[in-house]
Amino acid sequence: MLETPTKTNVEVNRESSRLKRMLNFLNSKKVVPYVFILPFVISFLLLTFIPAVQAFVMSFQKVLPGQTTFIGWQNYERILNPTFYKALSNTTIYVILTVLILVIVPIILSVFLDSKLVRFKTFFRASLFIPSLASIIVAGTIFRMVFGESEVAVANQVVTFFGFEPVDWRYNSWSAMLLMVLLCSWRWMGVNVLYFLAALQNVPKELYEAADIDGANVIQKFLYVTLPHLKPIVIFVSTISIINGFRMFEESYVFWETNSPGNIGLTVVGYMYQQGIQQNDMGFGAAVGVVLILIIFVISFVQLLLTGAFKRGDE
Amino acid sequence: MKKILLLGMVIFLLGLLAACGGGEESSGGSADETLEAGSDIEDATELTFWTFAGTHAEFFNDAAERWNEENPDRAIKLISETYPFDQMHNNLLLALQSGEGAPDLVDIEIAKFPNFLQGDIQLESLNDQLDPIIDNFVTERLDMYSKEDQYYGAPTHLGATVVYYNMDIMDEAGVDIDSIDTWDDYVEAGKQVLESTGKPMSVIPTNWYGFWPYISQKGSGFFDDNGELTLANEDNIETLKFIDEMVNEHEIAVVPPGADFHTEEFYGFMNDGGAASMTVPMYYMKDFTEYMPDLNGKIQIRPMPVWSDSDIRSVAMGGTGTAVTSQSADVELAKEFLSFTKLSEEGNIQLWKQLGFDPPRWDVWDDPEVRADNEFYEYFHDDIFDILLDIRDDISGVNMTEYTPDVLEELGANVLHGVIREDNREPEDALKETAETLKGQMQ
Amino acid sequence: MKSKKQTALKWTINLSFVFISFIALFPILSLLVSSFRPASDLMRNGISLTFSLSELTVENYTYIFTQASEYWQWYGNSLIISSLTIVLSLFFSSMVGYSLAVYDFKGNNFIFLLVLFIIMVPFEILMLPLFQLFIDLRLMDTYLAVMLPLIVAPIAVFFFRQYALGLPKELMDAARIDGTTEYGIFFKIMMPLMLPSFAAMAILQGLASWNNFLWPLLVLRSNDMFTLPIGLASLLTPYGNNYDILISGSVMTIIPIIILFIFFQRYFISGLSVGGVKG
Repeated sequence: MLETPTKTNVEVNRESSRLKRMLNFLNSKKVVPYVFILPFVISFLLLTFIPAVQAFVMSFQKVLPGQTTFIGWQNYERILNPTFYKALSNTTIYVILTVLILVIVPIILSVFLDSKLVRFKTFFRASLFIPSLASIIVAGTIFRMVFGESEVAVANQVVTFFGFEPVDWRYNSWSAMLLMVLLCSWRWMGVNVLYFLAALQNVPKELYEAADIDGANVIQKFLYVTLPHLKPIVIFVSTISIINGFRMFEESYVFWETNSPGNIGLTVVGYMYQQGIQQNDMGFGAAVGVVLILIIFVISFVQLLLTGAFKRGDE
Repeated sequence: MKKILLLGMVIFLLGLLAACGGGEESSGGSADETLEAGSDIEDATELTFWTFAGTHAEFFNDAAERWNEENPDRAIKLISETYPFDQMHNNLLLALQSGEGAPDLVDIEIAKFPNFLQGDIQLESLNDQLDPIIDNFVTERLDMYSKEDQYYGAPTHLGATVVYYNMDIMDEAGVDIDSIDTWDDYVEAGKQVLESTGKPMSVIPTNWYGFWPYISQKGSGFFDDNGELTLANEDNIETLKFIDEMVNEHEIAVVPPGADFHTEEFYGFMNDGGAASMTVPMYYMKDFTEYMPDLNGKIQIRPMPVWSDSDIRSVAMGGTGTAVTSQSADVELAKEFLSFTKLSEEGNIQLWKQLGFDPPRWDVWDDPEVRADNEFYEYFHDDIFDILLDIRDDISGVNMTEYTPDVLEELGANVLHGVIREDNREPEDALKETAETLKGQMQ
Repeated sequence: MKSKKQTALKWTINLSFVFISFIALFPILSLLVSSFRPASDLMRNGISLTFSLSELTVENYTYIFTQASEYWQWYGNSLIISSLTIVLSLFFSSMVGYSLAVYDFKGNNFIFLLVLFIIMVPFEILMLPLFQLFIDLRLMDTYLAVMLPLIVAPIAVFFFRQYALGLPKELMDAARIDGTTEYGIFFKIMMPLMLPSFAAMAILQGLASWNNFLWPLLVLRSNDMFTLPIGLASLLTPYGNNYDILISGSVMTIIPIIILFIFFQRYFISGLSVGGVKG
């Protein structure tokens, strides 16, 4: 047994001054920011960086219980198959449609909502936003019942009212895409309207007055005054929409889970989930993931380049 | 702003309350959750069982109680948990992959089973339990859960594929179902049904239900005995053409609403007399009694019509194998209990009595307990097991390999949808292209 | 003449907005009405515009209040997870965003770039390795497992940084002279100034957590740990017969949130307009 030696006065003093120095150090302007960002750095390393590296490594492996082996580029070679192309083309079409709809329509709606022409603005704004409060599962359940196959489901009642044949909404490629795009647009329209409304507050009113003096009409004012001021937020919204579009999984899952007939609802992330988790092929799933991330980087980069987000200054 | 913080607090507190409240109630037991048997017995060994079908959980629970009566010295505390289908299989895969968190016993559906027979197999061989009694089984069923002569799954039923006829419609059309011997007869009868009642003779789902039983009955399959892919062989192409013609040329068959046999849309359709017959394994009986009450007394069961070039009368299809995982703390006990529950004579009798499944052990088909009146005889008819005994030797099984799940996936996604529903692909092209794709995946 | 044209235009626009609002609200309203119809009929035939009043019943609701204890368990789980996520993620993300905005330190720009980078990485790609990590950490089937990936939210960091850029720095210097520590400055002086941004982020983070699906689907295993979306999704199975909980449960999942939103939308919108759109 070792006796703990009792502390002398000197030692206690030294310790408390060490504590003080420690506190001072922690409170210095040089250290404080690092303390503040520490949680972020830890979570980045633990929850993003390490998994990303692991995913990359895994994409070169065949992962089986007790028998994980490196197989070189085989997973990547297998990616070039019709099912992946189908997933990629579905996802791409989905991204194009949702970006177009979720940028153009909200701009128009918010311009009107910002004008003096519309009354009950709060009500309209709220009712557009409310769909985003519904979780994707609830929204999907509703959409499945609204777009049921039976002739008495709402969508088919409307369609037959206009004299068309009832549609098997969940089983045609065109209607499958329609369902996914519709579901996404329905949920996110209100959010984007709010973003644009907020941006519209920042357009200087004098510019409109100046335009009035120059005799500009409504459309000219919109094109030459409003739109340029909306540009930053258009870039923001479209970037987010593109990234979210490529990450899409749930809008498809709620209609068909992971197996849609003819893969009409298969997305890249869905394919990753299906192969990596359901079919127990984690290495291949990881390879699909790596390809997806490359696609997202390239497209976001090109998009930001084209829209001039990297350019500074104000031409 | 204070309001918001206040609100946050309120939500938080509400949350705590709800959680506590819920926690207390949930032990009361309701439809869709954990079941426990033997929890009142001291020193009982705890076993967990995962399944995706609530009825299976009840079945195992009942078995655990019987086991505890017969083996008081080796009592079991059985905890059965029911999960959604996909989630259960995913969780099991990941648990076995990571070496942690798997249950002792688990239900694995046939289409998923091969996924669990890869790498170092994390399931226990059941051969020591099966060896003494294997002659009493229709072994085609056991083979589906085996690899390299080791059996890993205890079958839930034989799953002999049969045709269920709606007699209201058949009578209206004036068709005698006992005169339907071949599939060509079936098509002719179908035309008569369509003409006189306007209803489709059959339903063809765009997943494997619409293809696998038919090719298996021809003696074909997705793989040959050596594990080579035979998806695009002559027999399969011919069969798919035949099915395609039923739907798109003669129009005597339709794709079921919901595209599958296990959807509410389809139950509603069938219950309202939507189609004159359907080809599906025997285990579908429970679906009839449960979801199609209006058809009570109107359904007749017959063996499948035969192909002219093959004498196979039925195929064992679908079905769930229960397995013991290597992570079990007491593998021996788990195996013996599983054997007691599903492999023993008594267990097989219970499979019929409780679940309406055709037992995989043929030696109980004559048992007075099996022949005793129950809801299934009442809903259908008395000679169900005579039909089975009659075709017992002509039941074929299927060849499974580790790539079977991929084939089933591709089949549903790429072949049947295009050929049957959209009618824009030729059977031959679709099968050949898909076979090529699959070969690329099978390196 | 002009005013007549103006009125006509006004009417057209306002009526179109009525129509658009109707479309936006229709799915939720129709679910509300349909929740009083037999659930299995809904699953079989879908939501219908025409139905007889006589088939209306409150059975779906009696069932959920008397039999469906697991539903309330899920509700509780969701509430706990969402409130904790809001509190923790606002706390940590605001700290990071704030220090990125007000301090000049080595690596500031690098960290900011990292934040933007994480916004771009789809979480789904990290899912498989993360899953293995969580198994190793023995976090499966816990609240923490669901919350962790949401706790330092890059979007929120970005938002807080933008917001904090506009804070008056003179206040900081004054407080330093008074001897307040850097931490005191943040918690006592700056945080209260950032409250509007907290309101907006609380709603967005709350929604993200309340509706989170894919990740909890993987890490939650036992029925009594499920969150609402996972629980409800588990009812969409042909092997159970729980559509009544699904329907009435869906209604009860959105209605409280809509009510909350209506009460607090003013704060939400003002918070959003001040911060997030600068860039």
